[in-house]
Amino acid sequence: MKYILPKNDLNALLTAWSAEYAVIAPQKTGAYAEFLPFTPQSELRLQEPHNTRYPVKALFFPQSEAILKYNRNVGQLENLEPEPQKRVIFGIRPCDAKAVTLLDTVFAEGDNQDPFWLARRAETLLIGLGCHEPCATCFCTSAESGPFHRDGLDALLTDLGEVYLVAALSERAELLFSGLTPADAAQQESALLLQAAAEKSLPKVFELDGLKEKLDRVFDKEIWAELAQSCLGCGICTFLCPTCFCFDLVDEAQRDTRVRNWDTCMYRVYSLEASAHNPRPTRKERTRQRLMHKYSYWWEHVGKLGCTGCGRCVRYCPVGLDIRAMIRKAGAYESEVLHAN
Amino acid sequence: MNELEQKIRSEAERLLKENLVDVVIAFRKEDAPLRPQPAFFTSIDDLENLVYNSLCANNLANYLTRYPRETRIGMLVRGCENRSVNALVVEKQHARENLYLLGVPCTGIIDWRKVIAVTGEDILEFEESDSTLTLRARHQSYTLPRAELLHSSCQRCVHPNPLSADILLGEALPEGDPKLIRERVETFEALTRSERVAYFKQEAERCIRCYACREACPMCYCEECFVDHNTPRWTESGTTPAGTHAWHIIRAFHQTGRCTSCGACERACPMDIQMTYLTDKLGKDMWDIYQFAAGMDDKTQPPFASFTMDDKKHFQAGGTQ
Repeated sequence: MKYILPKNDLNALLTAWSAEYAVIAPQKTGAYAEFLPFTPQSELRLQEPHNTRYPVKALFFPQSEAILKYNRNVGQLENLEPEPQKRVIFGIRPCDAKAVTLLDTVFAEGDNQDPFWLARRAETLLIGLGCHEPCATCFCTSAESGPFHRDGLDALLTDLGEVYLVAALSERAELLFSGLTPADAAQQESALLLQAAAEKSLPKVFELDGLKEKLDRVFDKEIWAELAQSCLGCGICTFLCPTCFCFDLVDEAQRDTRVRNWDTCMYRVYSLEASAHNPRPTRKERTRQRLMHKYSYWWEHVGKLGCTGCGRCVRYCPVGLDIRAMIRKAGAYESEVLHAN
Repeated sequence: MNELEQKIRSEAERLLKENLVDVVIAFRKEDAPLRPQPAFFTSIDDLENLVYNSLCANNLANYLTRYPRETRIGMLVRGCENRSVNALVVEKQHARENLYLLGVPCTGIIDWRKVIAVTGEDILEFEESDSTLTLRARHQSYTLPRAELLHSSCQRCVHPNPLSADILLGEALPEGDPKLIRERVETFEALTRSERVAYFKQEAERCIRCYACREACPMCYCEECFVDHNTPRWTESGTTPAGTHAWHIIRAFHQTGRCTSCGACERACPMDIQMTYLTDKLGKDMWDIYQFAAGMDDKTQPPFASFTMDDKKHFQAGGTQ
C-alpha cells in the first residue's frame, strides 16, 4: 500500500512511534550525520544527498561489544546477550538496508546463528529513504543495489518535495503507516518518474558478468602491488563499509570481560600468526584480500556480491583510492595483459 | 594545467631520463576531483598523469620509509614534507644522498571537508587561482575565498618553503606568523582542567581506531605499534573511552620533538577528530624548553633522542641543574 506522509507531520509520526519503538534516525553530529535515538527535539538530516558516515551495521553489530563477563576466582560466566528491543531505523538508504541483508548471511544463516545479531535484528524495522540525487561516489546500480531498491526494507520513502510517498513493504510497516492518506495515482506516477531518473543518473562503473572469473585469474599477478601502492593500510574503508564483518575476540583481563571488536584485513596484525609468519605480509596481499573478498569470495560463499556500492570507502579514503577504479584496473589487466600473452 | 605542475613534470622527466632516481613520488589525478592520489612514477610515459594543486592533501614523506635506503627517490616536497624528510633522515630512515627533493613553496592545502561543508554537495570540477577556488557542482557553481578553505594546520603554517630542497620550483613565499600556532596552544592551556578534559574526551571518543592518523603520519613508522602489541597489552582494545583516550595520548607523546605540524593526521581522519592541539603543544614545549623545532635540518637530533655529558639531570638528587 502507498501512503502520503507530509514532511510537516514527520516529527509527530516518529514521536507517536516512540511510544512503542526506540526510533533511530540520522541526525547531525559535528559536520556529519549519524544514526541516533530520536526525540521530538531531534534535528533530522534527511536532505543530505550522501549517506551517514558511520555505517548502519553498528546498530546491529557494534564496533566494540562486551559479550561475556567472567569471574576467574569462582569460574563463573555471565552471558551479556542483549534483550530484543522493538526498534525503527528511519531514513536508512537502500544500499545500507541491502547490506544488512548481506550480513544476515553471515550472522543468521545455517549454522551461523549469532545471538547478538539475532537479538538486535529480530524486532527492528528498516524504513528506507530512497536517493533521488545519488552522489558522485555512489555506484549502487553497478553493485546489485539501486537508489530505490527494496531489499531488506520494511518501507521505502520517496521524496516528492513537500511530502514523502511511502511504500509499505511489510505487514509491520503497514501498521506504522496505516493512519496516513493513501497516495493518489498522480503522486505514484511522479514517484516512479523520480525513481527512474535517479536510477538512470548512475553510470555503470563496471560489468559484473564474468568479473569474478577475471579477478580469480589475476590472483597471483603483480597488478595488486600497483593497486595497493598508495594505500596507507588504515582501517577506514573496512570500518566504514556496511558489509565488512570481520571481528576479533579479546579478553580484557583487567575488566574480566570478553570483548568483540571489529577487525580489518587491512591491518598487518590481522593475519599475523603466533609463529610470526604472516600469510599477507604486505599491503599488496591485504588490498587483494579486501577486493577479492567482496568481488569474488562472496560469490563463492553465498552467491552474492559483497558490496552494495554505498561509496563510503571511495569518499573517505585518505589517499583517494577508488574501489571502482581498482576493480576496473584488475579486470582490464586480465583482459589486456593476460590475454595478450 | 598550471605552470608549477609543468615545472614539476619537466624536472621529474629529467630525473627519470637521466637515471638520477629510481622513482619520483608525487601526485596523480583520480576520478574524484577533490582527491588526487599519491603516485610513484618510474617511467616518463606515466608523467602525463602527474598533477599538482592545493588538493594534494597527503604528506608524501610518509612513503619514504617503504623503500630501502639504497633506493634513489625523487620526491615532491612542500615546506612540511621537507621538514618531515629532514626528521626522517635524522632518524636514519633514508640516506640523504639518495634523495632528490623537488621543492615547492606551498600556499596551503585545501580541506575538502570545508568545501563540502559550504557546498553541501559533490564537486564535479574545480579550478583555483591565487585567492579563490571555483567549484562546479551539480546544481550550481561556487567561487570561494581560498584562505577560508585551507586546512587549519596550513592556516597556522610557519614555514611554507622547503628548507633543504635540491631544486626549488616556484617563488619562495613569505614565512608564516609563528604567533598563530602559539596562540592556539595558549588558548587551550588557558582552559580549566575540566574544560581541557571535556575537549579531549569529545575528540578522542569519536575515534573508530582505524589508525588513519598513524598511517598518514611520516613519523609513525614503527614496525609494531604499541596498540598492536598484545604481550603485554598496553591499552584497552576497543573503542571504549579508556581505549581511545590511551591511543590519542600515547600517539601524541611519541611525536614529541618529531612532529612537523603538517596536519596529515587530521586530514586523514574519517571522524573529523582534531588532535593537532596536542602535538602543537608538545612542539611549543620543545621550543620553549630546548629551543628545538623538528625537521629544521637533517642533522640535529631531537632533545629526547640525544644525550650529552652536560645534560641537565633534574631527576637525580644533587644532579646538575
